[in-house]
Amino acid sequence: METLSNEKVTEDMIPPDITQPLPLTDDFVPGESNFIQVKDFKFFYGKKQALHGINLEIPSRKVTAFIGPSGCGKSTLLRNFNRMNELIPGVRHEGDITIHGTSIYDPSVEIIALRRRIGMVFQKSNPFPMSIYENIVYPLRIAGQKNRAVLDETVERCLRSAALWEEVKDRLHESALGLSGGQMQRLCIARAVASRPEILLMDEPCSALDPIATAKVEELIIELKKDFTILIVTHNMQQASRVSELTAFFYLGNLVEFDSTRKIFTNPSKKQTEEYITGRFG
Amino acid sequence: MHAEPARPHTLTTFTAALDQLRSTVLMISSLTRRNLQNSIKGLMERDDDWCNNSIADDEEIDLLEMQIDREGIEVMSRFQPVASDLREVISSIKIGANIERIADQAVNIARRARKLNEQPELAELHLLDELILHSMEMFDDAIRAFAERNGDLAKGIKPRDKELDQLNRNLTDTLVNRMQDDSTNLPGYLNLIFISRCLERIGDHSASIAEDVVFAVHAEDIRHLGKTAKE
Repeated sequence: METLSNEKVTEDMIPPDITQPLPLTDDFVPGESNFIQVKDFKFFYGKKQALHGINLEIPSRKVTAFIGPSGCGKSTLLRNFNRMNELIPGVRHEGDITIHGTSIYDPSVEIIALRRRIGMVFQKSNPFPMSIYENIVYPLRIAGQKNRAVLDETVERCLRSAALWEEVKDRLHESALGLSGGQMQRLCIARAVASRPEILLMDEPCSALDPIATAKVEELIIELKKDFTILIVTHNMQQASRVSELTAFFYLGNLVEFDSTRKIFTNPSKKQTEEYITGRFG
Repeated sequence: MHAEPARPHTLTTFTAALDQLRSTVLMISSLTRRNLQNSIKGLMERDDDWCNNSIADDEEIDLLEMQIDREGIEVMSRFQPVASDLREVISSIKIGANIERIADQAVNIARRARKLNEQPELAELHLLDELILHSMEMFDDAIRAFAERNGDLAKGIKPRDKELDQLNRNLTDTLVNRMQDDSTNLPGYLNLIFISRCLERIGDHSASIAEDVVFAVHAEDIRHLGKTAKE
């Protein structure tokens, strides 16, 4: 592959911590139907129970949308996949979440390694106060990567996959904070895919974007699912129906219905789902 | 099974827009029912005035069909309906088109009736009675199924269309035989055959309305069931 510095990048130039599969997923099979399994999962913020025995099987390389009213537990569940919730004091869980058959709570799973395999994009774009280039290579740098060719290749690959390359290729070393809101969010997606994760978690990634920027991010999500398993929390029903293949509807910490997006948005099985998606809730 | 009455939307303008669409469909239904009634009256009472009313009032129905399309498109563009709401909008637009075609058949019947009224009454006119009753009942039940969101009533309408087809075939055979025996009244018999055909078409459109009601209420597509089963 040609890179910015015109050096050829070969597999052996990429350090093992980026390319080598972690123990968690070393026999990962693309297109697995139960890639992620949530088993009778309960979650508590102190005494308050936020999730009540969730059971869910999420296939790989598909976009799965989590929908539901505020406080229904969808973001809580999302943040459990990379154990982000553990940063909050007083939380605890029961049940299990497995990724390709391995529990994410298994003592052998390193939390940092887990988070490297599971990228996350937040509601508000959060570029680091550094250049566009440095934002992308940040995950590689903290993994010890110093090879310029590898870094250049990663920047171009990630920016291209985030459909941002053409817009920023001439100002890679300018501050990322000078980008528009939509560009910043796509930069964060590019950064999230830089460490080659298998799963991308997106927590309302378009809620602060205008319709054009939203369309670009949605186009990107559809493009990225070829390589990643994407879980997206959204309050935008049309967005869920446009980008996802599967939709899970949560209410009051329970999973009410999980089915193909087509079924959920044309003829849901549960009355609660129907009332929520048609705007007859509350 | 009747669908449970839907709770109103949180956004009241959404409920109001769907209600408006629904009432326009009911309006076109009742005007079409009136025109059909007028055409039949003009035919049976041999009164051109009823026929002329039916023909003149068809324009109003054409306008209402376009109004249904406009209102349906507006609901879709403003509120992006999904699930039962989306099915209701799609079905309403299709039902509007079918009702307008039934009104066209009412006009055809009125025109044929005026031609029949120019000649002495044919004894065979009352052979149409059963077809008239059957097709009107199908139309009424299809509209009632829509108004009441009654999927089971709608499902029962389709088989009745086959009975109507048979009545039409029987009547056509009878009239063709009469034409051979009595060639002086040939144009009159032909007009009766055309009217029979119009009534049969009203049954077809009523069955289509019923299919759309089943789709709106049960999310089931019952069109072409025989054909798809063979495939």
